[in-house]
Amino acid sequence: MNELTKRGLLLGGGALAAFGAAGVVTTMLGGDAQAAVATGARAPSFSVQDSSGATRTLAEFRGRTVVLEWTNHGCPYVRKHYDARNMQTLQQEATGNGIVWLQIISSAPGEQGYLDAAGARARVQTDGAAPTATLLDPTGVVGRAYGAMTTPHMFVINGEGVLLYQGAIDDRPSARASSLEGANNYVRAALTDIAAGRAVRTAETTPYGCSVKYA
Amino acid sequence: MWRSMIRFFLAALAFMLASAAPSFAQPLTAERQVQATLHSARAAVAPGERFTIVLRQSIREHWHTYWINPGDSGEPTELTWRAPAGWSVGPIQWPTPQAIPFAMLVNYGYSNEVLFPLEVTAPANARVGEAVTLTADAYWLVCSDICIPEEAVVTLDVPVAAQGRDDPQWASRIADAVAALPSNAQTIEARVSAGDPARLSVALADAGAIRNARFFPFNRDAMRNAEPQAPRFGAGGASFSLLPGVANNLGQAPLAGVVAYEAQENGAWVRRGVEIEAQPGDPIAESDGAAVSISSDYALAELEGSSVSAPVAEALSPVALIAALGLAFLGGLILNIMPCVLPVLSVKALSFAGGAQSGDSRKHGFLYFAGVMATFLALAALLIVLRGAGEAVGWGFQLQAPWVTSALALLFFVIGLNLLSVFEFGGALQNAGSGLTARGGDAGAFFTGALAVIAATPCTAPFMAGAIGAALTQSAGVTLLIFAALGLGFALPLTLLHFLPGLQRLIPKPGAWMERAKNVLAFPMFAAAVWLVWVLAEQTGSAGVMALLSVAAALAFALFVARWGRVWLAIGVVVLAITGAAMWRPLVGAETQSVLVSEPWSPARVEELRAEGRGVLVNFTAAWCVTCKVNEAAALARPRVAQALAQANVAYLVGDWTNRDETIAAALAEHGRAGVPLYLYYPADGGAAQVLPQMLSEELVLDTIAGDAP
Repeated sequence: MNELTKRGLLLGGGALAAFGAAGVVTTMLGGDAQAAVATGARAPSFSVQDSSGATRTLAEFRGRTVVLEWTNHGCPYVRKHYDARNMQTLQQEATGNGIVWLQIISSAPGEQGYLDAAGARARVQTDGAAPTATLLDPTGVVGRAYGAMTTPHMFVINGEGVLLYQGAIDDRPSARASSLEGANNYVRAALTDIAAGRAVRTAETTPYGCSVKYA
Repeated sequence: MWRSMIRFFLAALAFMLASAAPSFAQPLTAERQVQATLHSARAAVAPGERFTIVLRQSIREHWHTYWINPGDSGEPTELTWRAPAGWSVGPIQWPTPQAIPFAMLVNYGYSNEVLFPLEVTAPANARVGEAVTLTADAYWLVCSDICIPEEAVVTLDVPVAAQGRDDPQWASRIADAVAALPSNAQTIEARVSAGDPARLSVALADAGAIRNARFFPFNRDAMRNAEPQAPRFGAGGASFSLLPGVANNLGQAPLAGVVAYEAQENGAWVRRGVEIEAQPGDPIAESDGAAVSISSDYALAELEGSSVSAPVAEALSPVALIAALGLAFLGGLILNIMPCVLPVLSVKALSFAGGAQSGDSRKHGFLYFAGVMATFLALAALLIVLRGAGEAVGWGFQLQAPWVTSALALLFFVIGLNLLSVFEFGGALQNAGSGLTARGGDAGAFFTGALAVIAATPCTAPFMAGAIGAALTQSAGVTLLIFAALGLGFALPLTLLHFLPGLQRLIPKPGAWMERAKNVLAFPMFAAAVWLVWVLAEQTGSAGVMALLSVAAALAFALFVARWGRVWLAIGVVVLAITGAAMWRPLVGAETQSVLVSEPWSPARVEELRAEGRGVLVNFTAAWCVTCKVNEAAALARPRVAQALAQANVAYLVGDWTNRDETIAAALAEHGRAGVPLYLYYPADGGAAQVLPQMLSEELVLDTIAGDAP
């Protein structure tokens, strides 16, 4: 009887162990880490300071097409587009056509690319950039709301506040200057489509670049 | 106080050193993060020979380079060859990558050292005795928290000889590197099935013996990288939950990539990879039984740990449902002969033999049946509720609470004592002595069923895992059905005994043997108690065992001396009460270390606590806030902090900003913050709230609570 019982206990213990390994179903809650916005959905509203100290909201640009450009002046991918004046050219084209262009800096203090208001103004000068405004998002609230992952990461929003394009600036995911040659600029294409009243042909791409240096 | 002074001193020293020695810092920044070199497996090659070379990247600590698909950011290494005429160099062969999490991104790449094998073919007309130089322009991006593109020209001299020969230093290292490449030697069946989330199933052999499994797609647009994949496995292989990327074609198009995992080899965990190309289609059967284990040192442990359980199983097909129900029924039947259950049921069977059954037999049979079913269904309901509440539960979960283990151990011990005739309760009290099991009445029949189910839990046979696993991934209705089938199988044999007098006749007639049988049955009870003590030891350590055995001794004493009269009974009860009072803590699972207990934050609660004169520590956090999580792990969740909070009677409130909340936003704004983390400490004396820094340390929190923060 005792022998049987021992054997039974071993069996029982073994069964429990096997069960623990095989049968335990872990079900846990967890927030969606990426608050990405679906293309075609309403773009999240925001209210942040720009480099001139003014508070900027998405709502104030209602009726105008808005481009959001996540930037980090120390990132080699951002440098590729600025050093070749590729980004500035696009900014001038866009703002010249009445489009709002907002640079957004989501680097946290102490991280690469973080700039205070004065620093951001100086950086625009140095680069000869032509954005409508440079938004300061050191807490990353805006970046997280949009699911901005890389610098650059581009978003195009129409006058009704609907997100029409998100993703890479072009189809060359490289930091090499030579990669700009012959690149297909998705943002320019999207702005052209919107201006022509067409649906945006390439509405979503995988962004490339450096990771956004969030807090 | 001392600690902060020392810290300040060290910081000042570091600052002075750093500013006094820019000449030391300079070469560091100019230095490359990656040293790249080419090496050949062959010291000399024969004309026409095909051989392997490697690009070796030696990467500075904490930096990494990228796989062919870099993941959410980054860029793979590139080589542009300037090979002499006739020489051909194949593409980079990519070793199995690692997942590298950064903030809300996951990248794919390599750290420390990586060898990229390449195949080179010498021309048939290569001139013996000559040495050629293979030259490539190498370009890579190397990142830690920042990224630097680096370029280099790498060269390799290859002597041509009539007879090729191995390089003594590199031949074996390169052979190892090639052997470690993601295997594509044999085609492994893989399917990708649409759904939310989509599911990738891979017919991986021995999927039960792997850990830290993850799928890496070759295509950047295929899927989202920073999502938990909740890897699962079964007899048929392993499966992964995937969320679509920009391409948005999971389940519609073939999906190629590498499945990486760790497997045990000579007692150590070795990282491996297999290349797969999954075809759209139904998932591979039995590939989603249980979760693949995730080790705590795995880079994505936090990501996978916080995973939303993938509703991997689609609704069961009718055949599968019947099979699962049948399996559950069979499992229930087998539970009857399990050592945890048999003693309980045997006692019941003895009570038949003792003539306890009468005209009430059928009623009792029904009540026993009802007891079993009610308990199983109640367990299922509880499981559904707990699952809904997001707790990690398994079938044995009742035994996860030390107090349940302790109570069951004591119950088995007392039943054993009773069976040994250590104590007897006269007449009606007999019932109480041997627990509810031996009771003859209606309630006794019901509770025999209930107790038998509780006792059965530790003994669930392994093959039931499948049925319950299936049940837990299914809807509440199916879960209830499967548990009902389990209960049915479990209740049937003894219920039949009640209903079919023919079977009852098989039970031997009462006699002197019954006392012996009863005494012998005490030992399985003790054995079960011993086993439960072992479980308790696992749960609480030696403190719990000590406490339980003390209580058991006191209990035995009380039961034994009760036979000498009321005075002795009273003494016994007092002894038991004193022992219990001294020993209860580890048994109810009260940890010897304090655990941080939090309440949800609200302005009203803060006021309330302050009105009580208590200090309050407020943590505004969010699931997506990396800094918050770091602070919680490094400072707030430390046992010493919990202890200090408890000692100082400081309440700990948590404001969760994972989802936007206007009240919290207002509180953040009040302290000049637009986001989390924000840590506030309201001293008990009613003074103004202190805003703690965004980066916490254990010392800082302890000093703050002690009231001597810097």
